Amino acid sequence: MLVFAGAMMVATGPPGAAAAADRPDGGGLPAVDIHGFVSQGAIKSTHYNYLVNSDRGSFDFTEMGLNFTTQPTDKLRLGFQLFARRLGTTGNFSAKADWFYFDYRWRDWLGFRGGRVKLPFGLYNEINDVDAARTPILLPQSIYPLSSRDFLLAQSGGELYGYVRMGNAGALEYRLYGGAVEVDIPAQAGSPLQITAVETPYVVGGRLLWETPVEGLRVGGSAQWLRLDLNVTAAMMPFTYQIPASLWVSSVEYAAHDLLLAAEYGRWRSSAESSNDKLSPSMGNVTSERFYVLAGYRFARWFEASAYYSLLVKDADHPDGVAANQHDWALTFRFDINAHWLVKLEEHYMHNAAALDPALNGVVPADLYKLDQDWLVFLLKTTAYF
Amino acid sequence: MRRFQLRWILPLLAAALAGALGASRPLAASPPTYRLIVNPKNDATGVDRRFVADAFLKKITRWPDGESVHPVDLSAESLARARFSEEVIRRSVPAVKSYWQQLVFSGRDVPPPELDRDEDVIAYVLRFPGGIGYVSGAADVDRVKVVTIK
Repeated sequence: MLVFAGAMMVATGPPGAAAAADRPDGGGLPAVDIHGFVSQGAIKSTHYNYLVNSDRGSFDFTEMGLNFTTQPTDKLRLGFQLFARRLGTTGNFSAKADWFYFDYRWRDWLGFRGGRVKLPFGLYNEINDVDAARTPILLPQSIYPLSSRDFLLAQSGGELYGYVRMGNAGALEYRLYGGAVEVDIPAQAGSPLQITAVETPYVVGGRLLWETPVEGLRVGGSAQWLRLDLNVTAAMMPFTYQIPASLWVSSVEYAAHDLLLAAEYGRWRSSAESSNDKLSPSMGNVTSERFYVLAGYRFARWFEASAYYSLLVKDADHPDGVAANQHDWALTFRFDINAHWLVKLEEHYMHNAAALDPALNGVVPADLYKLDQDWLVFLLKTTAYF
Repeated sequence: MRRFQLRWILPLLAAALAGALGASRPLAASPPTYRLIVNPKNDATGVDRRFVADAFLKKITRWPDGESVHPVDLSAESLARARFSEEVIRRSVPAVKSYWQQLVFSGRDVPPPELDRDEDVIAYVLRFPGGIGYVSGAADVDRVKVVTIK
């Protein structure tokens, strides 16, 4: 990444010192666009710890990013973003290259990106950690789980993309990608299984969106295939897990003027093959089912509201029970104090507990069914951005 | 008495109707809130609205003749921008801002430059053969080409 950043600096000159191809005052060298954000959130829940130690209230919900983008020619763009976060015990403010790429847009209908690029999965996966770009603090967690950010947000490899207008039939936007995912080893304090290494031999997928003749209405689908290879130690014995997974989601969105309506439905299938079934058994295919419907409206420049219902069913073959599904009704108010600062308030009414992390709640997964059915989550978040 | 009322009421109604019709004339003749402008080297005399919307959202980057599109916006507080955004892009200015936040922080693209004054937009459009912008209805557009939106 540092090599990439260095090459970008050599190609474009120092940020702020160069003149832009698109700068109104002219100049010979391309400019560097610099954008950044800092978000600080607070989470309080009743009954359980959700994402963080939220039962007693937690401020361990911080994100920050700084990105640089330049366009040396009409067809070529370079960019990278540094990102750090803390969500409970994950992240710990360790700055990472969130994305970095070169992007060659040969024609509007065909371009290529190489580097580390965000995954186009569903409508909003790419902005799962960009608070300013959406109304809800938490996107519907059935489709966009923050706990799976490392697996789902970006891949290192290549991407083909394009946009094709089809006259009165609307337009098609497509993206196809392949590469590998870099995954942090999760915190495992107290777990009998210790993960010592995580690799993804491959991740491939794509997204196709049709902008229909009804302006603002787009429909489409995304699919992704990947495999996680885990090196695990249990009782001082090393063994491996291979976890192949396939995910798809279908999407529909209507965005016009200040109104946003969206719904997505998806199924994710995975299995786990252990190299030592006596120590830790393999698991057959499990398919989870995920759905949400969302509505948002901007009442004024400074005020937006949105609401959604999100459903997670962990195993579509066994959909019933406290530990088997989770219903999430969310309501958000967003206040834009000015063009660079916003504050959000959000409330979730939860029914059942399938998305709870058992380790975070001091229970073993088999005991999740004993938990109470109804609980609440309150969030407050503020973001400064430029 | 009744005849007296009719004698006065009818002319009053006629005057009111004429006034209403007259009032609409200056409205129709008043300058538009914004005008779409392109570089004089551009052959286009009218541009499809969807093409303009796609150009300002950077979904398309080329004119039909292959020239690169260089869109430029007025500042977010501008009345011309608000009207252009609603009528051409069919989204409010904050909604378009939100669209750009999504692209900026996911590494997809950056928004067109935002300039404060009509003269700056005109100068920008003159710099690029594929330049396209909009200015307030009162702006002096002698040096650029005003195009209609189809």
